[in-house]
Amino acid sequence: MRCRLDSLSLIVCLHLLSIDGDDDKGERSQIGDTMTVAAGVGYVLIALGPALSLFASVIAKKPFLILTLLSSTLFWLISLIILAGAWRAFLPVKSTELWPYSILILTSVGFQEGIRIGFWRLFKKMEDMLNAFADRVSKPRLFLTDKMQLALAGGLGHGLAHAVFFCLSLLTPAFGPATFYVDKCPSIPFFLISAIIALGFVIIHTFSMVIAFNGYTEGKRKDQIFVPFAHLIAALITLINLVPGGCNIGLPLLCIMAGTTLYYSWQLVWRRLTEHQTTRSSD
Amino acid sequence: MDDRSTDSDPVTAGESSILDTLGEDVIRIVSPVSLCMLLVVLLVSSVSSTNDLSSSISSLFLSSTTTPTSFSSLNLLLLGSDSTWEEIKSALVTALSFVVVVTLLTFLLVLLFYFRCTNFLRIYMGISSLFVLSFLGGFISLLLISHFKIPIDPFTFAILLFNLSVVGVFAVFMPKFPISMNQGYLVAIGVLTAYWFTMLPEWTTWALLIAMSLYDLAAVLLPIGPLRLLVELAMSRNEEIPALVYEARPVDPQPGDRVRVWRERTDVRIEATENSTNSATVQTVQETRLAVSEEITAPLIEAFPQTGDRHLGTEEEEDGIGLGSSGAIKLGLGDFIFYSVLVGRAAMYDYMTVYACYLAIMAGLGVTLLLLAVYRKALPALPVSIMLGVVFYLLTRVLLEVFVVQCSSNLLMF
Repeated sequence: MRCRLDSLSLIVCLHLLSIDGDDDKGERSQIGDTMTVAAGVGYVLIALGPALSLFASVIAKKPFLILTLLSSTLFWLISLIILAGAWRAFLPVKSTELWPYSILILTSVGFQEGIRIGFWRLFKKMEDMLNAFADRVSKPRLFLTDKMQLALAGGLGHGLAHAVFFCLSLLTPAFGPATFYVDKCPSIPFFLISAIIALGFVIIHTFSMVIAFNGYTEGKRKDQIFVPFAHLIAALITLINLVPGGCNIGLPLLCIMAGTTLYYSWQLVWRRLTEHQTTRSSD
Repeated sequence: MDDRSTDSDPVTAGESSILDTLGEDVIRIVSPVSLCMLLVVLLVSSVSSTNDLSSSISSLFLSSTTTPTSFSSLNLLLLGSDSTWEEIKSALVTALSFVVVVTLLTFLLVLLFYFRCTNFLRIYMGISSLFVLSFLGGFISLLLISHFKIPIDPFTFAILLFNLSVVGVFAVFMPKFPISMNQGYLVAIGVLTAYWFTMLPEWTTWALLIAMSLYDLAAVLLPIGPLRLLVELAMSRNEEIPALVYEARPVDPQPGDRVRVWRERTDVRIEATENSTNSATVQTVQETRLAVSEEITAPLIEAFPQTGDRHLGTEEEEDGIGLGSSGAIKLGLGDFIFYSVLVGRAAMYDYMTVYACYLAIMAGLGVTLLLLAVYRKALPALPVSIMLGVVFYLLTRVLLEVFVVQCSSNLLMF
């Protein structure tokens, strides 16, 4: 296995664990192997379970949505690279104070929310192109449900990118025979915490894209403000994890935030669809 | 509201929107490429060699006597050290010699195509595909068996290997084989060859990838480029270019779809060369069908299978963004291989680079298909994806990793 020379001792430790685990000389118990692969797969499913079921039930059926998902994942990755480039000179942050990290979070969330508006403009252009194409092949134009599905695919792409880059890429040692605990949070394994946080953020990203697109399309201020607000609060909640023992509070709060976003998006979509139904039936 | 006026009626039972079928063809080419990359990443991460020395030894063992890999690994062994400058020098020499050999052999291919020596090429190709599937497949299977300690006896192994390779040769070789087996075996050949390539030392792999993409660009776009000559020859004679291509045809045609009529050419050309060149060419088929066909290179192994194109035609015309056209996209196996080599090499560093490179390659593929729809002429598929992949690999390794590790190890996420 590769051994990254990284200034963070955490990662060196993780890799030493995985190197030890991957020794294939001698007799390792087969049961130990399968248990730990199961643990790794379990963490992956915790982080990505709802995303996978959304993918299989909604997105996999329409090829264009898969393409939208891939491009929105790429978009999020590019925004993350730009952020990383901007912050590279100041890293690694050695202090344990809160304020450097809060600046990091604020700038990152602000940048991503700004990019979301750009993403929406691209989405509008794509919608126009699709409508023009539909006219040319004399098929019906995009339905409301189509547009919402596109927004869902876009959001899921963002959430998937988040889960992959923040959680899955660090999960490799979890497939080995040991686990790891962070100092600040000795009650839950590191992998489990990051998996649950990733799960929360997948939900938040997915449904806030639906809310945001509907908000920008309809021009409703309440929806437009909700999305950056929710994102910011969720990111600030993770700041609580810096405090020793803070993750016991931070994780449930994050899940509550994810639930709130989900509920809000549900109400919005329900309202929008019933309104549309009534306007159509009243014609 | 503007939006209300452009909204159509909600979906009633039986009404379909354009979103249902748009982009089908692209997905049908994206899935096997992704599958190939996934398999190579799995292989690399489970059977990875720990350092360059062991990989040099394995490549020495694997390659025949006079190949550039053995030269470079011999070089490394003799030098005894892997000082970076020596590695870079040997990598550049290797990549350059590779490209030169490939160019010469592509010209040879053009010459043979010009003189219509098909039988010779056909037989040679059959033998070489058998060789690849049996020897390369056998070697990698042995690696897997020894790593996972699978209990299997030599006789069963030999019988299985023999059966699988022979069926594989027929699947890529004979025109009337079921398309799913053809596609499956092509992906398998791609995986095996790409895994073999990842055994090269690191600098050599990167130099090779960049050199091949530059070569691809030159060979297809320059007027004296061999692949351009090949395409023009084929178009003037109204024949297909003999190449190993993956056709993204649907496995079973849906009855409710538009009627597709597949026409098969009677003179399926089969050609194999020892070192064929790699290029992606986009041909406009007679009825303005868009097809991306490529020829693959397998320079450092003795023989590489190639099979003839199947020419696809359909009755329907469809204008569109190019995504909705009802022809199947054909992608050459060389692209599969080099994309997977890039991703496999990224997997040897870390999984974050794997995801970033995967997204970059998909983006490059999308851009190439878009350019295809716009320009409608022969275009190389390798350069855009490989360049994007290399750029994203560097950016991830230098910028992103520190950032993400810093954040997530402190459990800060956004």
